[in-house]
Amino acid sequence: MSGKLQEVVNNQQQQQEVVDNSDEILQLVGFVVGEEEFAIPILTIQEIIKPIEHTRVPRTPSHVLGVFNLRGSVIPLIDLRIKFGVPVTNKSEDMRYIVLKDGDDIAGFVIDRLNQAMRINKNQIDPAPEATIGDKSLIEGVGKQEDKIITILKVSKLLERDF
Amino acid sequence: MDEFQEILQDFLVEAFELIEQLDQDLVELESNPDDLDLLNRIFRVAHTIKGSSSFLNFDVLTELTHHMEDVLNKARKEELKVTPEVMDVVLPSIDMMKGLLAQIRDTGTDQNGIVIGDIVVKLDAISKGEDATTAEAPSTQESSTPNEASSGSSEKPAENEGDGTYVNPLADEPELDYANMSEDEVEAEINRLIKKKADAIKAQKSGDDSEGGSADDVSLNVSATESHPEEKAPAPAAPPPPKAPEPPKPTAPAAKPAGAPAAAPKPAAVEQTIRVDVKRLDHLMNLIGELVLGKNRLMKINDDVEERYEGEEFLEELNQVVSMISLVTTDLQIAVMKTRMLPIGKVFNKFPRMIRDLSRELNKKIDLKIEGEETELDKSIVEEIGDPLVHIIRNSCDHGIETPQEREAKGKVPMGTINLKAYNEGNHIVVQITDDGKGLDAPALKAKSIEKGVITQKEADQMSDKEAFGLIFRPGFSTAAKVTNVSGRGVGMDVVKTNIEKLNGIIDIESEVNVETTMKLKIPLTLAIIQALLVGVQEEYYAIPLASVLETVRITPDEIYTVENRQVLRLRDEVLSLVHIADIFDVERVFENHDHTYVVVLGLAESKIGVIVDSLVGQEEIVIKNLGEYLKGMDGIAGATIRGDGGVTLIVDVAAIMHMAKDIKSQAVAVESSSSKPKNGPEDYTVMVVDDSKTDRKIMKSALKPLGVNIVEATDGVDALTKLKSNEYEVDGMMVDIEMPRMDGYTLAAEIRKYNKYKDLPLMAVTSRNSKSDRMRGVEAGMSEYITKPYSAEYIANVVRRNLGLE
Repeated sequence: MSGKLQEVVNNQQQQQEVVDNSDEILQLVGFVVGEEEFAIPILTIQEIIKPIEHTRVPRTPSHVLGVFNLRGSVIPLIDLRIKFGVPVTNKSEDMRYIVLKDGDDIAGFVIDRLNQAMRINKNQIDPAPEATIGDKSLIEGVGKQEDKIITILKVSKLLERDF
Repeated sequence: MDEFQEILQDFLVEAFELIEQLDQDLVELESNPDDLDLLNRIFRVAHTIKGSSSFLNFDVLTELTHHMEDVLNKARKEELKVTPEVMDVVLPSIDMMKGLLAQIRDTGTDQNGIVIGDIVVKLDAISKGEDATTAEAPSTQESSTPNEASSGSSEKPAENEGDGTYVNPLADEPELDYANMSEDEVEAEINRLIKKKADAIKAQKSGDDSEGGSADDVSLNVSATESHPEEKAPAPAAPPPPKAPEPPKPTAPAAKPAGAPAAAPKPAAVEQTIRVDVKRLDHLMNLIGELVLGKNRLMKINDDVEERYEGEEFLEELNQVVSMISLVTTDLQIAVMKTRMLPIGKVFNKFPRMIRDLSRELNKKIDLKIEGEETELDKSIVEEIGDPLVHIIRNSCDHGIETPQEREAKGKVPMGTINLKAYNEGNHIVVQITDDGKGLDAPALKAKSIEKGVITQKEADQMSDKEAFGLIFRPGFSTAAKVTNVSGRGVGMDVVKTNIEKLNGIIDIESEVNVETTMKLKIPLTLAIIQALLVGVQEEYYAIPLASVLETVRITPDEIYTVENRQVLRLRDEVLSLVHIADIFDVERVFENHDHTYVVVLGLAESKIGVIVDSLVGQEEIVIKNLGEYLKGMDGIAGATIRGDGGVTLIVDVAAIMHMAKDIKSQAVAVESSSSKPKNGPEDYTVMVVDDSKTDRKIMKSALKPLGVNIVEATDGVDALTKLKSNEYEVDGMMVDIEMPRMDGYTLAAEIRKYNKYKDLPLMAVTSRNSKSDRMRGVEAGMSEYITKPYSAEYIANVVRRNLGLE
């Protein structure tokens, strides 16, 4: 009996350690805007939906497409392609809205296509390149993977009103 | 600790309830100093609060209420006459009590900040000074001006006036320790005293008239507040009817009492009300909002299904369910809205006291009459409406009601009256404030505004009286010759306008000089779910709060005139400025409008505007949702709503678009004269200058010269008409003087417009007549522009350039 108990306790401790380890791992969702690949922490994503109809809001910059109805909530829609100055391609099957949330701030972002979910160890993430550091930078850091590097975006900055 | 907290909450809720009633009672007391019933009620409040606070160890509060109780007890036993001077000490002590309670509510203690020493000394002086002098009865002081009641009134014998004329029937009563009595004992004691007093009065009545009368006069004259001596019949000393508790102050959301106000009926044997946290009600309201959206959606789907499966049997069943749900939802919504309703009396309650203080401060006699205080409206609106009303009433007291001397000189009764009235009107509540003071003087308002730089002379000339009244709401405007403590800083009325606009309300002012001023505030009953008019422009839809829509009219484009680059519409006897909704919201105009268009006439606060839309979709119940942090505060957008089809429709912020409309130039009617040959440059355009004065023609010609257009001259209307008809020149625009021999400018314009060919020919009136009626006549005659002399050369060149499309 006591041996069994000990086993259970041990097991739990091991799990604890696994969780502790995963703290070092950042889970990201990668997506593509234009030609480039970006990523954002998975925990900031409320949901990812297929494009739905939106309503234009006047007197906003062109990257603010308007607002859309997400199950009863009115949510702003921002086109990352226009925001990043990437040519807007025609509507494709792969286009998605990523709904990001940071505290009370929430908005949907138009992306060209989703890529993959990935785990990156925190020590594989470098701070944003010197030149882009600053209050205005949208870049949180740069993640290195075997064959490529991925730009990790700063969600709080994305959700900040920029006009 | 928890139990203590609970008791504390109960205590606070109760105390605030009591105090609310107290203010009113006290003011009434001043005019009815002999009303024992009132006195007892007031005494009981102090007593109750004292009792509870000593139990809860709020020493400062206990001490203050203890001294108040002393004074009130004396008054109650007729050892002390309630004079305005006494009230000047008692009222501030009540204020202080409120302050202490608020402090307890916010911080949980009464130990920091509020110093009661002064007031306690004054209260003591009153009760002690009275002790010393009752026997001597100095009945001679007749202080008929409130001035004497200034500083240090507490220990002056002034408050003893009239005292001697009373044979106090209760003077032989032993000093009982009321503080240590139980509630029942106090009650019994009170009843006994009332009886005794009543008996004594009966016996005394006959012989008392001569002397007693004069004493009463004094106190009544001094008090410049309401006096309805007969209103409160001496009733058995029943506990005061519980009023709904004070809504939690928005300034202290963290520590607000758990009790939430619900409309409380009269006391009954069994507890008929429960207190509900406002948050729960708000949550409930949100849920109902979702339900309304769901209902709208369901109805839409039902319509679609009906279309597709016409004649199928199950349709009827579906129909029944849908209409039942829709009915229940509506009822539910109304029911929840009702639970959030509070009587406007909550706001009105504080005004008798305010008027009382103001009238003493301003040396005026003002009577406040309140009607319809039981009218109910949404809690959030009750909270918002207080400030504007305070400002309006202050304004009426300060600027409206004259001093008694002035009033007598004008042949009015010295006592000014302010009527405060609330009533329901459809989906709105109307709060009407009337004073019989000096009224608003439109010319004076205009002159003042010009002086202050609020408007220009030109604007003033075009203003109707009603528009001039609206000037008092402009920031920076104040009619008081001197800035007083009360008003005159030029902010107050501006606040009124902003707050009422925030509530989607309408302000209407009517006034007659030296007779009266009436302000009507028309406010929607609730804010969360509103009726809206859905309008369409191109492919987009917008929702306009129906509360702001005065009417809609269908017009043809040629009913729209342009005066000084602004589009206007003549609507009955009014000139309405117009703005196209597409111009406000930058809607791309893909297809051009048809042979008719719609104008939605919007009214907000005191201003009006016409908004041109392409189509009217209909009226719908909408739930207001905000646009979130990212899009918060967009110009012209008040929020969004979700429609039956799941799409989002933006709600128009009427106040904002009225403001925006001022800066928007019309693009709708771009006048293009049908030309036979292509025009490549200014030299291909011809302008006819019609003026009987050679000098004027010369000035105009030189002004137009830089444009490089051809110029034809005509010396009067007949000449111009002949030249135009001769087809000798292809005229692209005309500058027309109004005053000319043979045929004047108006007639000329009317003649020209008779020809379809010249329907769109720009006719620019150039004249020194600049009154509103002249302009209107010009518009009616068919002028497309109205330029007033003197003008600068650039200005006239710009106008011509614009009208010819040379930009």
